[in-house]
Amino acid sequence: MDLSIFLSIVCAIAWGVQSIYLKKAMGSIPFQMAILITLTVNFLILILLIALGIGKGFSVFLTLPAPVYFYFWVAGLLNFVLGRGLYYSSFRFISVTQSTSISSTYPILSVAFAIIVLGEKLALHQWAGIGLTLFGVYLLMVKGKR
Amino acid sequence: MSHLRGQVEATIASFCFGVAPIFAKKGLMSGLHPFYGVLIANGTALVIMIVLALFSRQAWQWKSSQTYGLYTAILAGLCNSVAIITFYWAMSIGKVALVVPVTCIYPLFTMLVAYFFMREGEAFDRYTVIGTFLIVIGVILTI
Repeated sequence: MDLSIFLSIVCAIAWGVQSIYLKKAMGSIPFQMAILITLTVNFLILILLIALGIGKGFSVFLTLPAPVYFYFWVAGLLNFVLGRGLYYSSFRFISVTQSTSISSTYPILSVAFAIIVLGEKLALHQWAGIGLTLFGVYLLMVKGKR
Repeated sequence: MSHLRGQVEATIASFCFGVAPIFAKKGLMSGLHPFYGVLIANGTALVIMIVLALFSRQAWQWKSSQTYGLYTAILAGLCNSVAIITFYWAMSIGKVALVVPVTCIYPLFTMLVAYFFMREGEAFDRYTVIGTFLIVIGVILTI
């Protein structure tokens, strides 16, 4: 098996299992605290990796131009604060399977953005994919109402 | 009503997850190693969450938090770290067109693990299973 595919599967498993641990954690601690702990663990591991020699050391941060910082600040706000905050919060109201499935539909939003704003054309299989995804979300929503 | 709130929150989260990579990509176009970008984004979020926690009751609830909850949250953080690192590693050596669809199967693992380890707290029926499969197949087809 290609190493990149193997790593992708490991990534999918880790992302998938993460949701279960979070749901269990939120039975005992507030969801804001769960976000704080996961962010702290991520931060420490990334710091450790850079300290161990991945990249070019910490001095890189001194040479980065302001726009690069700005882009990652916005990405961090959207992904780690708003995205994760709402994703974790939704665990309190719907099942972790439903929440994970609904929040994993973001590529469809990117495609919708590409069609509406950029005027891009889609292939037949992509239209089929959008249809299947929307129908899947509909099924989860129906399930959620019961 | 609470079901609707959960669904709306998950949908908005999906929107945020979809828009964030646009900014991350713009930052990475400078040639920066991805780990530095993730560290800046993660660090930004960490500072915001610490400030929010200090100005809310959450900081005080920390003392009464149960050990079990803290351990499982740490395990979630470790899983997320493994996911981030393997994702960027895979992206750096493989084709995006292959890596992204494969990583999109993660709801299947959530469903599988939830089925075996959280059956008491999760409502499983054919709608949830079929809906999850359709979403995963649909997303893979769309990419």
